[in-house]
Amino acid sequence: MDLDANRNLLVAALARVAGGDRIALQTVYRLASAKLFGVCLRILHQHSDAEDVLQEVYLTIWRKAGEFNAATASPMTWLIAIARNRAIDRLRAQGKNRRMMAIDVVANLPDDGTPADVAIERSERNERLHECLGGLAAHENAALRGAFFDGNTYEELAERMDVPLGTMKSWIRRAMLKLKACLQR
Amino acid sequence: MSEIDHTGAPDDELLAAEYVLGVLGAAERAVITRRIEGDHRFARTIADWEMRLAPWAEEIAPVAPPAAIWDRIAASLPAQQAPAQGWWESLAFWRSLTVATGAVAAACLATLIYFYATAPKPPLLATLDGGGKHLFVATINPRGATASVVPAALSVRPDRVPELWLIAPGEKPRALGLLSADKAVTLVIPANLLPQFTTRAVLAVSLEPPGGSPTGAPTGQVIAQGKLTNL
Repeated sequence: MDLDANRNLLVAALARVAGGDRIALQTVYRLASAKLFGVCLRILHQHSDAEDVLQEVYLTIWRKAGEFNAATASPMTWLIAIARNRAIDRLRAQGKNRRMMAIDVVANLPDDGTPADVAIERSERNERLHECLGGLAAHENAALRGAFFDGNTYEELAERMDVPLGTMKSWIRRAMLKLKACLQR
Repeated sequence: MSEIDHTGAPDDELLAAEYVLGVLGAAERAVITRRIEGDHRFARTIADWEMRLAPWAEEIAPVAPPAAIWDRIAASLPAQQAPAQGWWESLAFWRSLTVATGAVAAACLATLIYFYATAPKPPLLATLDGGGKHLFVATINPRGATASVVPAALSVRPDRVPELWLIAPGEKPRALGLLSADKAVTLVIPANLLPQFTTRAVLAVSLEPPGGSPTGAPTGQVIAQGKLTNL
């Protein structure tokens, strides 16, 4: 799915939500809730947690729609950021009793695990991001994936990849700066 | 490329990257969440990282949430605003006033004009401040026994509600009712409390669980307070 497919509808609806229009919030729900629920579920796994967070996400949208600026941001990017942040905050609030599978770098080569239909429908921006992710070392790529999709902390990633915490921090920081430089080219 | 020395990069750039990627712990995230509110440059750095990483979320398949979720969301939205709303109740109007320099003076003047035109008894006013900001403006209309409270720049955790308290000299705080973080609320003042609304009393706002303080006294953090003054 192209994240910007409903861009104009969402931009218009968010502007009306900022003015206190409940019907407009329902429009944002209709257009984006499945994607945002998918994001919450991916990070939280438990349906009940993801449902609670989705509710928080829409109350946040209701309060903060006035802060969305269509001139500088894509509506889906803004919405997904709210959903990811709320889901990660919930995950952190739950504490440390998470079962995590070890990350095997060899089995985690860049495109592994991407469903074929999703790969076909990748947008241009996603293509560029994937080119840049593909330019990272396999261990860097695996660490970033663990953080982005599983909501892992530095400590959890160090444990999953069986490296010292300091090593994990420098892998990720270096990888993020490389990613930024690549995306700017 | 492989020779990037990350220690030489600006700290905020990396901090924003770490926040958006999601590797930070709860305490660090809480500090950043607060910082974003007031630091526009940092908020911009965060937004730039969100733009960079967001396309990755295309890999996450949409999942339709259960149908009941929308009803839960709709039920938890603040109550509908009255349709025939005057400009003095308009949140945008008060926000623009309170943001501007000299806002309180202007707010006093506007309220003065309005109430002098409609009520012979002079109302009382309180600007409730917290953390160096004007968070609410409360107007007490003794004739109608109502308190109109307009929020200014305020955001409240979804699981907490602001509650208004009257603190008269030598008295315990008395609950006046629940407020809203994003719209004007008019509360009816109980007749037995009305005499305590004097310029010696203070109004305060605490954050309470949904439904208000379970004990009848403030249980949560007091986020704003202000003295009642004559107009």
